[in-house]
Amino acid sequence: MTLENCILLATLLFAIGVYGLLTRRQAVAMLLCVELMLNASNLVFVAFARHAGGPGQILAMFALAITVAEVAVGLAIVLLLYRRHGHTAVDAASEARE
Amino acid sequence: MNPDIAQRILSQATLDASGPFLALALGVLVLVFLELLPALAALRQIVFLGSLAAAAWAATRTLFGPEIAAFEGTYVANSTTSWWALLFVASALIAWIFGRRYYRDEARFEGEHDILLLTAASGMVLMAGSRDLLVFFVGLETLSVPLYALSGFRRARRESVEAGLKYFVLGAFAAAIYLMGAALLYAGTGTIALAGFQERSELLETPLALTGLALIAASLFFKISVFPFHLWVPDVYQGAPSPVTTFMATGTKAAAFAFLLPLSFALPPESAGLVAAIALITMAAGNLGALVQTDMKRLLAYSGVAHAGTMLLALAGMHADPESGGASQAVLFYMAAYTFTAGGAFGLLTMLETQGGRPVTIDGLRGLARQRPGVAAALALFMLSLGGIPATGGFLGKYLVFSVAVRADMIAAAVVGVLISVVALGYYLRIIVAMYMQPEDATRPVPAESRPLSSAMALACAAMVLVLGVLPGWFLANVR
Repeated sequence: MTLENCILLATLLFAIGVYGLLTRRQAVAMLLCVELMLNASNLVFVAFARHAGGPGQILAMFALAITVAEVAVGLAIVLLLYRRHGHTAVDAASEARE
Repeated sequence: MNPDIAQRILSQATLDASGPFLALALGVLVLVFLELLPALAALRQIVFLGSLAAAAWAATRTLFGPEIAAFEGTYVANSTTSWWALLFVASALIAWIFGRRYYRDEARFEGEHDILLLTAASGMVLMAGSRDLLVFFVGLETLSVPLYALSGFRRARRESVEAGLKYFVLGAFAAAIYLMGAALLYAGTGTIALAGFQERSELLETPLALTGLALIAASLFFKISVFPFHLWVPDVYQGAPSPVTTFMATGTKAAAFAFLLPLSFALPPESAGLVAAIALITMAAGNLGALVQTDMKRLLAYSGVAHAGTMLLALAGMHADPESGGASQAVLFYMAAYTFTAGGAFGLLTMLETQGGRPVTIDGLRGLARQRPGVAAALALFMLSLGGIPATGGFLGKYLVFSVAVRADMIAAAVVGVLISVVALGYYLRIIVAMYMQPEDATRPVPAESRPLSSAMALACAAMVLVLGVLPGWFLANVR
């Protein structure tokens, strides 16, 4: 796969993630979209590391580890909201608004 | 491990540079260990405060010295980063002290609360000292992930958990945007070190690198709550537990600014006008939003948005400012004044909320000057400082920021900024009027319960606001 194709794919994944995040309201679906965006950037890191060298692969490893920690906390919050309050829609969160 | 590498990494200079971070991280580890042994629960507070004190001590060691680079230049300690570290310690201490006895249903999770707070503080220190996109990302997430949990800490309260979820989804979105920005910058320049960008500055002009920079700026703008990324702020600040809001409002903003300042050399000079426009729109959006609020936490959230816009104006003038370091000093001073002012104001609200058992509204503050003269006087002082009245730290911060804009020949922007700040006085004074000139609501008296620690902290914040406003000479001479 050439570098251009890798970047195209990454851009496409990123765009799909952004689109999904802006249109979906279910927390789990939004989480999946964020994962798409994160993996798009990992793809760019790895593709460029192969193409031009540099710390890209290590960056991708760090990014993976950190985002796993992030998602763990996020899923815990989603689960808590679902069990205690019976929904996981993010928009309903603005009921705090006047 | 290769002994040569070990020697290079574990040198005295490295220890000096990363001292504040190590102190906080060690504190976290010890606290986690103490959680396993319920018998030693009494030690928790000592460890927490000791860790903060150790971090502050370590930061003062590099306060006046030359810049120390550690870990192959990915992390530095200099006078500025040390001041930032001290500010983060102060911010964590303010949030912790006002958070004592705040949690009723969650009192048994107090240990976890302290761990999360200390972890977030260590992330802030990491962010301020990082000179590398990866180290900054690690710091950003070390700060953000505990804050997601802290925002949803009042598990029985629906609005708290929803605030946590909202903050998490938007924070993860911002993190993903940051990572994509870092990836594109790496793709465009072949490096992720700030020093590397400086060496290859011609590569920063490529479309790939420019897109990356724009994405990184957008994610940082989210953290400092700048237009158009500020819409989450009122909901999250209102829903999150008040001590956590205190910490978010002061610390997170400071940490993001601490990295934006060294990064901003990479922004093309032509972007200054755009940044200034964003700053002014943010100030307008924050102040106009605050004008119509009745809930105090929401009002202060919008006011925080406006303050972030003001500081961004200094960033816009950074390139054209003939006085190098002027913008950095202005933002640092502004943030210090804001930390003590907003920290004290949110703290007093926390105190009133705990005692009254309900969220504080402007109407709820009526007649406070008669019932609780001390609290009312301190809150009035914080409001005056937020509004930028002379003799307070807030005034001097605004003065420094607008001087940067004037020196950078952005006089129109400075004038508009000052005018927008005057609008803000409208709602700050409304609070003072409610406290001092309106009759109290006889049906809802605020019970006066003795809280010596919180009162002492509020007094210390008020003193700092006045010292920064009346005797700033020493700070201005030493803060760079």
